[in-house]
Amino acid sequence: MRHTLIALVEDRPGALNRVLGLLRGRGLGLHSIAVGDSETPGVKRTTVLVDTDSVEQTIKQLNRLIEVLEVTDVTNSEYVVRETALVKIHAPEPRREEIKTVADGFGARIVGSSPQTVVVEMTDTPDRLGEMIARAMVIGACETMRSGSLAMALGGPTRRANAAGPEDATRAWWSQADGA
Amino acid sequence: MTDERTGAQVMCEALVRENVEVMFGIPGGAIMPFYHAMWEYRDKLRHVLCRHEQGAGHAAEGYACSTGKVGVCVATSGPGATNLVTPIANAWMDSTPLVAITGQVSSAVLGKDAFQETDITGITLPITKHNYRISRADDLPSVFHEAFHIARTGRPGPVLIDVTRDAQQARVVPDWNTTLNVPGFDAPAGIDRRAVREAARLLAGANKPLILVGNGVIISGAAPELLALAERTGIPVVTTLHGIGGFPEDHPLSIGMPGMHGWVHVNRAIQECDVLLSVGARFDDRVTGKASTFAPRAKVIHIDIDPSEIGKNVRVAVAIIGDARAALRALLDETPPRDAAIWLRNIRDTQATHQHRQPYLRRPDTTELMPHDVYAALNSALNGRGGYRVVTDVGQHQMWAAQLIEWRRPRTHITSGGAGTMGFAVPAAMGAAIAHPDETIWAIVGDGGFQMTNQELATISQENIRNVKVAIVNNGYLGMVRQWQQLFEGRRYSGTPLSGPSFAGLAEAYGLRGFTVDRIEDASEAIRAAWDHDGSVVLDFRVEREANVFPLVPPGLSIGEMITREAPA
Repeated sequence: MRHTLIALVEDRPGALNRVLGLLRGRGLGLHSIAVGDSETPGVKRTTVLVDTDSVEQTIKQLNRLIEVLEVTDVTNSEYVVRETALVKIHAPEPRREEIKTVADGFGARIVGSSPQTVVVEMTDTPDRLGEMIARAMVIGACETMRSGSLAMALGGPTRRANAAGPEDATRAWWSQADGA
Repeated sequence: MTDERTGAQVMCEALVRENVEVMFGIPGGAIMPFYHAMWEYRDKLRHVLCRHEQGAGHAAEGYACSTGKVGVCVATSGPGATNLVTPIANAWMDSTPLVAITGQVSSAVLGKDAFQETDITGITLPITKHNYRISRADDLPSVFHEAFHIARTGRPGPVLIDVTRDAQQARVVPDWNTTLNVPGFDAPAGIDRRAVREAARLLAGANKPLILVGNGVIISGAAPELLALAERTGIPVVTTLHGIGGFPEDHPLSIGMPGMHGWVHVNRAIQECDVLLSVGARFDDRVTGKASTFAPRAKVIHIDIDPSEIGKNVRVAVAIIGDARAALRALLDETPPRDAAIWLRNIRDTQATHQHRQPYLRRPDTTELMPHDVYAALNSALNGRGGYRVVTDVGQHQMWAAQLIEWRRPRTHITSGGAGTMGFAVPAAMGAAIAHPDETIWAIVGDGGFQMTNQELATISQENIRNVKVAIVNNGYLGMVRQWQQLFEGRRYSGTPLSGPSFAGLAEAYGLRGFTVDRIEDASEAIRAAWDHDGSVVLDFRVEREANVFPLVPPGLSIGEMITREAPA
């Protein structure tokens, strides 16, 4: 089953490589991964869409990685998901109007053009992107570039409201280790 | 500037600060600055020059497994580093604390396919707890501290530190006031008392409870707590291959080893038990057989320090995450005395009816030297004398050792379990011998595994290591594979017949003593002579060639479905 995981990963050399290597090594299908800065300096927030029979095991395995700070499975909770696509449509001048109509209908924007091509940008759910791309392909040959899904859970407190860095997390963890 | 040090000196200083006494390695171009600095530290840091990096890695593992301390091995870049891959994988599978230090080409040529350049951090990514590539000498103090912390904390395992040549040569003023900064490293939390009470309740209500002991008991030093819990509750105790030594086998509650080559009465007991308390075991397929059929009636209580082990292979009723010793102490607080005498008697009855059909407990009527004879002689010598540790390799001889020697103390049985690395025993015994110069370290090994790493006899000789006694159970085959070919593949002995030199002659050529033993009546005397000889010895036991390990659970079947002898021809 496909799960949407949100992971906080320390921005250290090779960290992303470890996450990918783990999924590959355990034979799990990676559908998409999107990585970018989180609100905390030095920490990346990533959205991973992965096919796994045991999401609990997958999360525990990810948590074993030193750089992985936290993993949440939002699949069965309330969350929003968005993806951005850039679609280059090969279409000569006479068809531009048609492209504009399709783009407007999907709330997409034309962000660039050349004599032979138009580039449309759209941000929506992955399904809606798929619909728009299917329509565009009727107009002309397409090349697509998609960002992979970005997910954000709706509920729960905003994490680390005071934007505490990894150093604070270290202290909490270290005192725990001393106590044990 | 007097405070200035080279990166290589900082590495040595860091090892001293981590209480490292000995490291095993081989120098080469990219690690030469470290060896240059090592000379100044030779009074504090012993370096053992091995003959192959695989030997160095296994020696560090033998040191680690026999002491509980972090083992350290060193190699140069490229082939030196890749030769460490097998020991690192072995340490990963068997949760052995290991720090591997490798040299790397200078950062100026990194990524340019320089001479002896290999991306060793990339290669070892899936088989290390963590690894580092350092190209700035300033990072050395904190990385070394972090690496040792990670290797030994929680579930132990291997950590690799790859240091570029220029980082070893750079001059820095080291900052030793490093605080650990690894927020993502989940150190074990406190024991969950509610889970402990639930476990105690299950144990109290069980009619047929069992305790399954794994490596975690030995790693956490929980043998005394385990003994106390078993004695208070009267619950019979099963020891996995890596749990051996965690509970004394001469104790009335010890029933033996489970799994693929476990005893019939043990596997039957597991299939029948209603509560199974697993302490630091990970339900490897060699223990469970077909996992979905394992212990079908049991509610499983799983104590493990690694949360990812919970529910990985078997369904768990109660999980207690944490250090085995702390968990057992908590369980002792909550568990009232009880007994399980009727259940134990049932198990012993099964044992009595099956024992005479288990060929390994019954010497066949032949004048040939059988493995039985070797193990009987070894067992009486070991338990008669004490002061020993045994390292076994992988294969038939390993299973016979597990079955036929009566194990009593933690860290006296050291073997390659999860990875099944042939060639482990001789170098690992060397590492254990260096850690315990006052003890006698036996390596029990097949002729196949012996020939994979016997070059370390040269190291034993050069280092004047006098307490390694190698017992080769020599049947001229890769015996375990041959056994499977015999039983499951119509005796097609494809690629398994194996020749070798005179192993006794080889030992003598290395400057050690060597004896060949091929008569029953000579076995005990040879072991006595080897033990008493002041120096390392190789005993070549030429045993019957087609003896098999029984019982045997065929691969993919339930542990209830055991073969206890060859099918009649």
